[in-house]
Amino acid sequence: MSLISLRGIEKYYGTYHALRGIDLDIGAGEFFSLLGPSGCGKTTLLRVIAGFEGVSEGTVTISDRDMTRVPPNKRPTNMVFQSYAIFPHLTVAQNVAFGLRRRSDLNRQAKDTLVEEALDMVGLGGFGARASTALSGGQRQRVALARALVLRPKVLLLDEPLSALDKKMREQMQVELIRLQRQVGITFILVTHDQEEALVMSDRIAVMFDGKIAQLAEAEALYRRPVSRRVAEFIGVMNFLPATVADGVVDAQGLGKIVVEDLQSEATTDGETMVGFRPETATLLFPGQDSEGRVARGTVSEVVYYGDMTYYDVRLDGCERPVRISMRNVFGRPVLDIGAEARLAWSPGALTLFR
Amino acid sequence: MLRTYVIAFLIFLYAPITLLPVFAFNSGTVIAFPLDGFTLEWFAALRTNRELHSALANSLTVAGTTAVISVLLGLMAARANVRYRFPAKAAAMGLVMIPLVLPEIIVATSLLVVVVQFFGWSLSLVTVVAAHVLICTPFAVAILNASFQSLDPALEEAAIDLGETRASTFRLVTLPLVMPGIIASLLICFTISLDEFIIAFFLTGSDTTLPVYIWSLLRFPKQLPIIMALGTLLVLASILILTLAEWNRRRGIARAGGSDSGGFL
Amino acid sequence: MQQETTRGLTLIAPPLLYAVALMAGPLLAIVVFSFWTQDYLTIDRTLTLANYREALSDPIYRAILLRSLWISGLVTLITVALAFPVAYFVSFHVDPSKKSLWLFLITIPFWTSYLLRIFLWKVMLGFNGVLNSIFAYINIPLEALGNATGIAWLQEGLSAPLYSASAVVLTLSHAFAPFAILPIFVALEKIDRSLLEAARDLGETAVTTFLRVTLPLAAPGVVAALLIVFIPTVGDYVTPAQVGGPGGLMIANMIQTQFLGLNNAPMGATLAVLAMLVVTVIALATIWLARRLSGVRP
Repeated sequence: MSLISLRGIEKYYGTYHALRGIDLDIGAGEFFSLLGPSGCGKTTLLRVIAGFEGVSEGTVTISDRDMTRVPPNKRPTNMVFQSYAIFPHLTVAQNVAFGLRRRSDLNRQAKDTLVEEALDMVGLGGFGARASTALSGGQRQRVALARALVLRPKVLLLDEPLSALDKKMREQMQVELIRLQRQVGITFILVTHDQEEALVMSDRIAVMFDGKIAQLAEAEALYRRPVSRRVAEFIGVMNFLPATVADGVVDAQGLGKIVVEDLQSEATTDGETMVGFRPETATLLFPGQDSEGRVARGTVSEVVYYGDMTYYDVRLDGCERPVRISMRNVFGRPVLDIGAEARLAWSPGALTLFR
Repeated sequence: MLRTYVIAFLIFLYAPITLLPVFAFNSGTVIAFPLDGFTLEWFAALRTNRELHSALANSLTVAGTTAVISVLLGLMAARANVRYRFPAKAAAMGLVMIPLVLPEIIVATSLLVVVVQFFGWSLSLVTVVAAHVLICTPFAVAILNASFQSLDPALEEAAIDLGETRASTFRLVTLPLVMPGIIASLLICFTISLDEFIIAFFLTGSDTTLPVYIWSLLRFPKQLPIIMALGTLLVLASILILTLAEWNRRRGIARAGGSDSGGFL
Repeated sequence: MQQETTRGLTLIAPPLLYAVALMAGPLLAIVVFSFWTQDYLTIDRTLTLANYREALSDPIYRAILLRSLWISGLVTLITVALAFPVAYFVSFHVDPSKKSLWLFLITIPFWTSYLLRIFLWKVMLGFNGVLNSIFAYINIPLEALGNATGIAWLQEGLSAPLYSASAVVLTLSHAFAPFAILPIFVALEKIDRSLLEAARDLGETAVTTFLRVTLPLAAPGVVAALLIVFIPTVGDYVTPAQVGGPGGLMIANMIQTQFLGLNNAPMGATLAVLAMLVVTVIALATIWLARRLSGVRP
């Protein structure tokens, strides 16, 4: 049974069509991400769930209750804002206690206890009396989390919560958010433009373009089996080669003829198409190595050395644009030079056929 | 060299008002050097002047009322300007701000024409307040615009997200954060109204305000030392009010976690 | 979104209606009024151009209007020229943490009683005034020097110019100085400092960088300063009345006389409308010219 269900959501700003027919179900306890480039509508969709944006059409249901016309203060959702929105005129503890003001069932002491627990949970125990303006970026984010979680919402909404942090802090907070989500067991909905962040943290990811959901899948499936070229390009790096399909055989430029059963795709109709593969799913063969027939020839055109990895650009024979291959620099494997002859091999299932 | 020029400029700027205390305590009745001797006579004369006291009381009433109404109107205009989008917004805001660049003589005469010629009402302190509100509101809007702009809209959304209503959000979050701007604009409007002469000159009835009273004194050379004493007190009061306003404005910026980038206006 | 628009309109309505009722309405009224005529205490409500004909043909009105524009123009140029270096100094040479203190220092005199400041200039410039009592000491050696060298103006010594147009110019320039500094300062503050470094890097000297980068970028502030000084000074009443004398009177004094002295309010209204028109035309022309010169900006 899904906790949140969106049906036929349409959102217009004047003539601008921001959300186009969104249907989405998010389950209880799920870590869900809305991923997409800026302007794709992901933040608008999050704000629709929170109630800050009304919808032009469609319904928002949370816990089987129609919430479409319910204002944000009456919804069982709480938000961590991109700017964190920590009240500058209140202390850390007063910020966390802000939403408890209307809880007449709790006395002062009970509220204090809840605030203390929430601060402990995010690793800010003992920070309650501090001025909120004196906190670092990471600490402000923790206060924002504690402030939302202390209300035990059914859903926590996170609007690009890590974008303001530096790289190291961001990685640390990713791990903490996952831990926190498992600990409290409620649904987290994360908005992000960072595909790596979405892949690391989420159970499921909805990739959005132009106000529509382009693909909804678990992290691994999204990476391994993107449904379109656009999704594939947005999630990581992918090489594309023009190809033609005829009678169950794909003729991909530079790779040669491959039977369709060896590729991932439902698109088996004949015609012009594209074959794609990720840099790490192919390998460069070294003298003496061989692969069972799935080999293409070419020349190394660029070498970028990263220490643990080497990235090669290889121009395949009969193919204009080079493909990118990443190789782990394991012991004993030499680094090829520009201009070297290269043989490229791939495993069955590494290639994806796109419409 | 630039520094020397700027210091010379500041001396030029301050030269006239530094004369106030010098001659306020000078026992001679002619305002010229050399000085005669020290006296408190002129300040003592202020204490017994009935007309002055009633003019001062009128001015304080006018300035206080003007400040409150202007800031209320300013709050609405600034809030609408920063927070909402609506048709013809630029034109509406422009109209509200125009009195800032309208020569005061025009404001004064046009209101005089309407009040006296068109409606046949009599002039009173009410007409002065009405005109002062018109010229003070733009200043309040300018200051409050800055206050509302430095307010992250997510703060209000956060309060609503945490269960507050629109009204309680305004009271718990918006008002405390904009309060320094409100106080600063109250003080500025109060000062402007207290100082304003030409509009009050045209629009007062039988009750005069302090500047109008001072204007009537200027004709009598014998009264000049008394004006000097009065001026000294007024300048001190202005500086005190402005320091308070500036202190408030800075506190507001520090509180909102922003950086300071300018003064009034 | 509909709701947001309604909220915005509800909020703007009171201040807007206030401005309409107390400014737009009265301005319209004064225009109507300027087409009426007054004979002693009775007002003739037939619309006529008589006032305008008289205002434009009578040499007194024309002279006073032209003088107002001339004095204001001079004050504006002097004030902005004096203010620019100060704004530049505060923006570029003052420690950022002390900038607001400097602005505060510059604005304080502006906020202290306008009437008293003008009056103080009268005291300083007067025949028995402060400047002349100081000049009295300086003039003794000057006179001696003049007698010794035979230079005539040294023999006459220095005297402060009270009751003249130059006294009005001096006093107004002083009164509006802070008005000119603030917009220029704001424009200078907005200049990205790396632009100046880039200009130096590309081979400009300090002087040419100022001329080719700083000055053009400060232009909007300078234009704002020009207008913010020019517009209110044209309509200034107190300064010409206090230090101007008969040769320094301006349009506001004439308007006041028509309204409160001569009981010819329609003529006062006509002069006010004319003054407003001229000021508006000059202001728009300045803005148009500034845009043409800067080439860009909407």
